[in-house]
Amino acid sequence: MGKTELGKAFLCIRHGVALWSNKNELRVCNDAFEKRFDCFCGPIPKGISLSRLVERAEQTGLVVHNEAGDGAETSASNCSLERTLFFSDGTIWKLEGWETDDDSVITLCRDVTDEVRNAQVLERATETALQADRTKSRFLRAANHDLRQPLASLKILIYNCISARSEEEREQALHAMDVSVSIMEDLLGALLNIGQLDAGRITPNIQTFQASSILERLRLQFDHQAREKGIELKVVPSKIAIESDRALLERILANFVGNAIRYTDVGRVLIGCRRYGTKLRISVLDTGCGIDPQFHETIFDEFFRVTDEQRERQHSLGLGLNIAKRLAEIIKHPINVASTLGKGSTFSIDVPIGNILHSNLGEPEISERIGGEFVGLSCLILEDDIHLRDALSALLDRWGITVLTIDSFEDVEAAVRSLKEQPDIIISDYRLRGGVQGTDVVGRINDLLEKPCPAIVVTADTSPPLIESIRAQGYPVLIKPVSPPGLRIVMHNILFEPEFVPEIS
Amino acid sequence: MKESDSIPIGSMVPLTGISANDGREFRNGLQMAIDEVNAQGGILGKQLQPHFIDTGNQTAPVLVRAARTLISEHRVHAIINGYNIGSQNSEYEPVADAGIIYIHHNTLLQHHDTVTSDPSRYFGCFMSDPAEYWYGQGFIKFISWLRDTGQWKPRNRKIGIISGPKPYSIVIANAMASVSAQFGWQIVRPPSMVRSVTNDWRPIIENMRELDPSVIAVTHYHIGDLARFQLQFMSAPLDSLVYLQYGAMHRSFSSIVGESARGVIVGTVIGLLHDEKGRDFALRYRQRFGPDSTPEIGCQPYCSLRHYAIAASVAGGTGAPGDFTANRRVARFLLDIPYRGAVGTIAYHPRWQAAVPYPDATQDPSLGMPHLFYQLRGPDDPSALIAPLPFADSTFQLPPWVR
Repeated sequence: MGKTELGKAFLCIRHGVALWSNKNELRVCNDAFEKRFDCFCGPIPKGISLSRLVERAEQTGLVVHNEAGDGAETSASNCSLERTLFFSDGTIWKLEGWETDDDSVITLCRDVTDEVRNAQVLERATETALQADRTKSRFLRAANHDLRQPLASLKILIYNCISARSEEEREQALHAMDVSVSIMEDLLGALLNIGQLDAGRITPNIQTFQASSILERLRLQFDHQAREKGIELKVVPSKIAIESDRALLERILANFVGNAIRYTDVGRVLIGCRRYGTKLRISVLDTGCGIDPQFHETIFDEFFRVTDEQRERQHSLGLGLNIAKRLAEIIKHPINVASTLGKGSTFSIDVPIGNILHSNLGEPEISERIGGEFVGLSCLILEDDIHLRDALSALLDRWGITVLTIDSFEDVEAAVRSLKEQPDIIISDYRLRGGVQGTDVVGRINDLLEKPCPAIVVTADTSPPLIESIRAQGYPVLIKPVSPPGLRIVMHNILFEPEFVPEIS
Repeated sequence: MKESDSIPIGSMVPLTGISANDGREFRNGLQMAIDEVNAQGGILGKQLQPHFIDTGNQTAPVLVRAARTLISEHRVHAIINGYNIGSQNSEYEPVADAGIIYIHHNTLLQHHDTVTSDPSRYFGCFMSDPAEYWYGQGFIKFISWLRDTGQWKPRNRKIGIISGPKPYSIVIANAMASVSAQFGWQIVRPPSMVRSVTNDWRPIIENMRELDPSVIAVTHYHIGDLARFQLQFMSAPLDSLVYLQYGAMHRSFSSIVGESARGVIVGTVIGLLHDEKGRDFALRYRQRFGPDSTPEIGCQPYCSLRHYAIAASVAGGTGAPGDFTANRRVARFLLDIPYRGAVGTIAYHPRWQAAVPYPDATQDPSLGMPHLFYQLRGPDDPSALIAPLPFADSTFQLPPWVR
């Protein structure tokens, strides 16, 4: 290859290439180099030094960051020949250089954005994989650590059960087995929580809602447990709206309440709220054994237990408070603990107070099933075509109506007795199985009901005399196929504005 | 004007009957929007041509007939109007058959049910205000907010709810009742249903006196009935806040009730804001339709038409009956492009195809239609907009009859 061709290649290469004299002065560069260092009003001045060029690029904002590499410096340049340049357009370029035989320097400037980003992604993926591996190992260690005990008990208990000599002995063993299984269930649940936390799979969903909604759920969840232990569980109602993740906050508080009941033998557990400026402190107070001050920090550690005896006695797993603390970190609510040995403990969490106008009631989707005009009413359908009955039932269900049906019209009395509630309205097909007329069945049903209810008759028969005769009996008529708006209008009128139903007014 | 040069727009408005007051404002609002859009060049150069049909008592047969007439005789590309209460969405059927756009302000939860039951069929049906359900939930939050921010100290936790006989009123009353306990309120008994509203509210008021609630909420909406309620209430007032549904917002309510209306709370899930956009609209509206006109009502179809014109322009034009493709494009852009007008933001929910209310269903005031609470002042004063922020321009005052 001749020198001309080499020169052509030098000019056309897509990477920036520049040649510097042994006095570190720019002798020549290709177009890509010119284009990359477009920070002069015109071409790069000949004779400029490499360090001055980089300085200029930084001063004009073309380069936002410049990292010197470990490469050698040229004696003349006093400037590292290997450096990474972060350009303001987001790209990353690597500058590399080599000295030639005559002490000149040739530099290559190439775009390494993808290389660097891929390396970062790879590094993150490796770290995630390592973390997952560590988590898995820890999970298995923890499972091994805590499942071994109830499993060992279970093994002995199964043997005891098999060899029991009396019914009483067998029952005792079975009861103890039941307890062991419950402990294993709790443990697996807790380990699963820890697993999710470790894997970073918990994403908070912050909403504004009433503190009372969580307090009420806690009362329902723990009231029975407290009663069984002979202690009182008192929940002080609150009207304050808070901003938090409903499910995560409930899990934290459930851990507090569960612990409070576990470590309280006499007295009571109280859940209450107090406003502190812009925060609501939700506290769980107990009259239990209390915690030694030296453990106030460490109780939140994974697998923490004060003594092994405590673990045996209370079936404590030592995970609950750790989970609570980690969940609280996710939703950024501080947790506080105050406790006196022998007197009891108070665990609390500070939650931001929300704007009550922004309250979310936790309804998945607003629909007529939740808030329609017919919500809470029940409708008895008399229709023996199963497809029509199913379609009508589905429609009424969407409107929030409880659907009642009767399959047999032979023994109406028994069928009415079997209804789980009194209907508010009846929709009957005119021609039922076996030549039975819907209007007759409606009449018999209404004689049996404590409070007779209005009825609508549907029919596919459009003969005017028939329709007239049904109407004359006091029933509005709808012709099949019944349109939802048509049914809605008649149902509304018959239930709420009977004066608009000529048949019954 | 040649048919092909114009875009016929239908409007079903109750110009006679009990809602005639609102009907006239709906017609005015739509006409004003059409005139403005036309003056600005129409939709992609085509002028809009309105066709109004009186829906009188707003029953299903009347609405269905009106929709059919607009579609088959006038070949309308869209029907845009205020509310028609009583048809139970029957008019959706001719609209869906023709594949045109229908934007209304019926404020009914039934709309969600109909649209979600068959989204493909009802692609063109939009409710440009939130469902009435939100009135109930929003009102309970509102009085809780008054209580919790110390603006009002209720003497007990009791609420008395009086419902009118229409689905609209029943749904609101049920929604109020269903969420009361969560916010620390106790309803004095299941909502009292006024089966047929008479001129005499006194037995109901006396019943409330025995039950002694701190708040009385009337979910019936008819202006005349509400005016009679308030006058009879004020002849021997109870020590309770009074909330009256929607109709009391109307100027004619203040004209009938006069000074006795001072202190009454009224809510609307669609209303005229007191901000720059709202004031500007009100000024132009009154200049055109007179000082006794009610821009608070006329703003509804006005904003919906302006929104429609934008969506149709972006979509590349409107579609006549049968042109499902063009109208589906318009519907898509109605969903995609929120419109900020004198009523706040119309941002359609992607499944309900109804305006999302703020703060009831979104915490972002730029993406929801504000559920406004006004407190009435003197008959000649503008009502005070007291919630929600950032739209409120006044603060709550204890009504003169409350001790």
